[in-house]
Amino acid sequence: MQHQRQHDHRHDHPAAPMVDEITDFEVLEIAVRELAIEKGLFTAEDHRKFAEWAESIRPAGGSRLAAKAWTDPGFLARVRADATIACKEIGIDWAEPTGFGSTSDYMHLVVLEDTPTLHHVITCTLCSCYPRPLLGHSPYWYRSPNYRRRIVRWPRQVLAEFGLVLPPEVEIRVEDSNQKCRFMVLPVRPAGTENWTEEQLAEIVTRDCMIGVALPRPGRRADDVRPVHKAARPVQSQHH
Amino acid sequence: METAETKTVETPGTKAPWEGTGVTLPARFKIGDRVRVRELPAIFYSRTQMYVRGVSGTVVRLNYPDLTPEDEAWNRYNAPQEQYYIVRFCQKDLWEEYPFQNDTLQSEYPESALEPATD
Amino acid sequence: MPSRSELRQLYDAGAQLTPAIHQPQDWPYEVPHTLYEAYMWPLHDVGGHAAAPALFEEKEEEEWEDKTYVTCEVLGWKGVWNAEERRRRADNDVGVSIYYGFPYYGRWIWSAARMLVDKNHISLNELHEKIAEVKARYGNR
Repeated sequence: MQHQRQHDHRHDHPAAPMVDEITDFEVLEIAVRELAIEKGLFTAEDHRKFAEWAESIRPAGGSRLAAKAWTDPGFLARVRADATIACKEIGIDWAEPTGFGSTSDYMHLVVLEDTPTLHHVITCTLCSCYPRPLLGHSPYWYRSPNYRRRIVRWPRQVLAEFGLVLPPEVEIRVEDSNQKCRFMVLPVRPAGTENWTEEQLAEIVTRDCMIGVALPRPGRRADDVRPVHKAARPVQSQHH
Repeated sequence: METAETKTVETPGTKAPWEGTGVTLPARFKIGDRVRVRELPAIFYSRTQMYVRGVSGTVVRLNYPDLTPEDEAWNRYNAPQEQYYIVRFCQKDLWEEYPFQNDTLQSEYPESALEPATD
Repeated sequence: MPSRSELRQLYDAGAQLTPAIHQPQDWPYEVPHTLYEAYMWPLHDVGGHAAAPALFEEKEEEEWEDKTYVTCEVLGWKGVWNAEERRRRADNDVGVSIYYGFPYYGRWIWSAARMLVDKNHISLNELHEKIAEVKARYGNR
C-alpha cells in the first residue's frame, strides 16, 4: 500500500492529499543521490547511463537462449561449456553496462537443464539474487520472504500454488543461488512444437518457466496473470 | 556465430573494483566428493544457510575462485580467494519431515565452509 | 458438519488464538544459549522457516525504488562499495525490525546512506542537513 504516515495530533494542520506528500524513502533517495554526486562519487550522467541499461533488460534474452538451445545442439554445447560467453550469441553481454558486470549480477551463469525426470526451481533464500541481464528484474514474489522461506523446504507445495504439480518420480531440484553464480532453467521442450522456428519457441518460454514455477507449452505465450500492486508514483517511461 | 554489440561504458576487460587481488588457493575438492557443511558461528554475517549446517552433500560442480562473502562484504579485496563449489543435498537429509525420496537441493559454498564428509 | 477444508481452516485459525506472554526486552542480565543463537542467526537466512501460503503478487516499482536500485549499483560500479557489502548491510545490519518493517528497496537506500557515513564519504551531520533540506524543498514539515 502507499506509505503510512503517522498523523501527528500535536500539530494542527489540514490533512494533505496522501498522493502529493513526498515519502520518507523518496527524501532519503534524493538525499543519498545528491550527496553522492556532490561528493564526486558518481555523476548524474553515470546514473542516467546505468538507468538506461536497467530499463532495457527483459526476459526475452533468456527466452532466446532457451529456443536456440532447443534447436541448435552446437549452441547447447557452448552453453554447457560457458553459458556466460554463449549468451553473447543471443545478444546478451553479462559485462554490461560497466564492462565488468552490473554490480549485483556478476558474470557466472549456469543453465539448469530439466529432463523428463528432473525439474529445477530457483530461489535465493538469503536475498533475491536473480539473472537480471537474462531475465530482467525479478518478480516481487521471488524476493518475498514467504517464497524464500518455503520453496526450499516445501517446494512441491509452493509449485502447486503456481499450478505446477509433478509426480513423485520426477526429482524436484531446488537451486538456492546464494553466491555469485546465476541460474536459469532450461525447460524440457514441450511436445507439439516440432518444426517451430526459434521465434515461435522463444514465445512460449516465459519468465516463470525460466525460474521453474511454470512449464512451457504450445499456446502459453504469457505467464499466469497475478495480482499487481500498482505504484503511487511509478517511473515515467515509455518502456514497460 | 553472432555476438552482441557490447553497450558497455568502460573499456571491456576492465577489472571490476570488487575483484579479488589476493592469491588463489588451490581447490581441495573435486566433483563427486562427499562434503559436510561446517558448523561455524554465523555471528554478524554468513551466506552458508543454517539449514545445511552439519549436513553432508556431494560436490557437483566447481565454479570460480573468489573472495569469501565475509571478506568481500568488508572490502578485504586482497584476501585469499577460495574455490567455490555447488553441493547437492538430498532433501530428506535437510528436513526431518520431507516425504519425497527423489528430491534434492543444491547451493554454493566457498571451500572454507566445507570439510570432507564421513558419510 | 464442516467440510474437511473448512475444518482445516478452523483448526489453522484456532491455532493462532494462543495466549502469549510478551516479555519486553530492556537489557536482560542473561540470555539462554538457544535465545542467543536465535539473536545471532543471520537475519536474511529465512530458508525453511515456517510460513503459511501467502499471495504471490507482482509489484509496480515506484520511481524512488528504480532510482534507489540504480544509485546502489552505480556506487558499486564506481568502487564505493560492492554488492556483497550492500547485502550484509541491507539484509543483516539493519536489525530484525527494519528487515521486516521496511520496503525491500527501503533497506537498499538505508544501507547506501549508512555506508556513505561509515566510510566517511559524508558526515552524519551532512546527511541530516541534506535530508532536512530536501524535506523543506518539497514542503514537508
